[in-house]
Amino acid sequence: MKDKKFSAWLSTFIFCFLFWLLLTWSVALREVLVGLAVSAVVAAFSARFLIQKDAFYMYHPVRLITLVFYLVVIFMWEVIKANISMAAIVLSPNLKNYKPGIIRVPAADKPSSAYGMALLSNCITLTPGTITMEVAEDKHGNNHYYIHWIDVTETNRFKAGDIIKGTMEKWIGRIWA
Amino acid sequence: MIGLLIAAIVMVVLAMGLLYRIFKGPTAADRVAALDTLDLVIALALSLYSLYTGRGIYLDIALVVALLGFISTVFVGRYIERRL
Amino acid sequence: MIVVDIISCVLLAVGLFFSFVGVLGLIRMPDVYGRLQASTCIPTMGNICLIIGGVVHAIGYGMDTATVVKLLVIMLMILCTNPISNHSLLKGAYNGGIKPVREMVMDDYKEDQPTYKEGETK
Repeated sequence: MKDKKFSAWLSTFIFCFLFWLLLTWSVALREVLVGLAVSAVVAAFSARFLIQKDAFYMYHPVRLITLVFYLVVIFMWEVIKANISMAAIVLSPNLKNYKPGIIRVPAADKPSSAYGMALLSNCITLTPGTITMEVAEDKHGNNHYYIHWIDVTETNRFKAGDIIKGTMEKWIGRIWA
Repeated sequence: MIGLLIAAIVMVVLAMGLLYRIFKGPTAADRVAALDTLDLVIALALSLYSLYTGRGIYLDIALVVALLGFISTVFVGRYIERRL
Repeated sequence: MIVVDIISCVLLAVGLFFSFVGVLGLIRMPDVYGRLQASTCIPTMGNICLIIGGVVHAIGYGMDTATVVKLLVIMLMILCTNPISNHSLLKGAYNGGIKPVREMVMDDYKEDQPTYKEGETK
């Protein structure tokens, strides 16, 4: 248990120190020393919120490269498509007859960890036109996303899930399982 | 380049448009949504203006505005939900 | 130099257009749900295109690396924090009892009343 705590602290410490280096962008001795001290204190307080199970899960080159590829290519493509359809709604005279609604979308079984589901719901929220309201479990233990959708074009929940999530869920499942 | 200055000025004009929603908005949620967007617009205008003048200090201000702008919005959201 | 100017101007124009769409949606939409959805255009396309245009300008004119890195950090911070505030506001508005002006086609949230207890991890 103590070893696990230390590895969580170490992982958070490395992350904080890298972020400090990004912000200051200098390797003068004084700044590095202050950064080490500040990161140690911050990591001691925030490690238990950031790390749950495997401390060094993301320090893995394949996962990092997959994450960057997902964010730059897959996610950007979804964002561009959604932005253009949102612009079509807003710029149309008399606000094209859009039909808002809240739809329950079943989650696939692949991103079942908390990190993966949080990333997926944040990505859904970040595409214009869909906002995640809740991630909840039903009686049988399956996860569902409750999504506010600005233009409900499909009332079948499985097909609507395919339209909303696109290929994002598959790629996040590859990163966080 | 003059394009950066023009872009920054257009962003400030858009922020003026948001002021209309802040004064008019029928409910508190409308006003806070407009304020949250105002934060983003001001941060983007600051970073563009910093590139135009070449002074780094505006970038730091934009970073702080972008970092801290969302906390108040989250708290007001909790407050409207009557859970705070 | 002229190529750098053209690329960054095009990116800035695209970003300004989508920021304009977001602000116009915030003013035109009838209720708070539509306004929140429309305002998401600003932190995605507006933010990304404006900052990338600035980065192209900074690299082309040979500014120091700290400026470029700080611009990218600003973009990432906006992308990370904005969905949290949007989600919190929309859920607060819904549970606080603000009625949508345009009738919802379907409302699964009202039918199911899902409750997720805070602090509960699997």
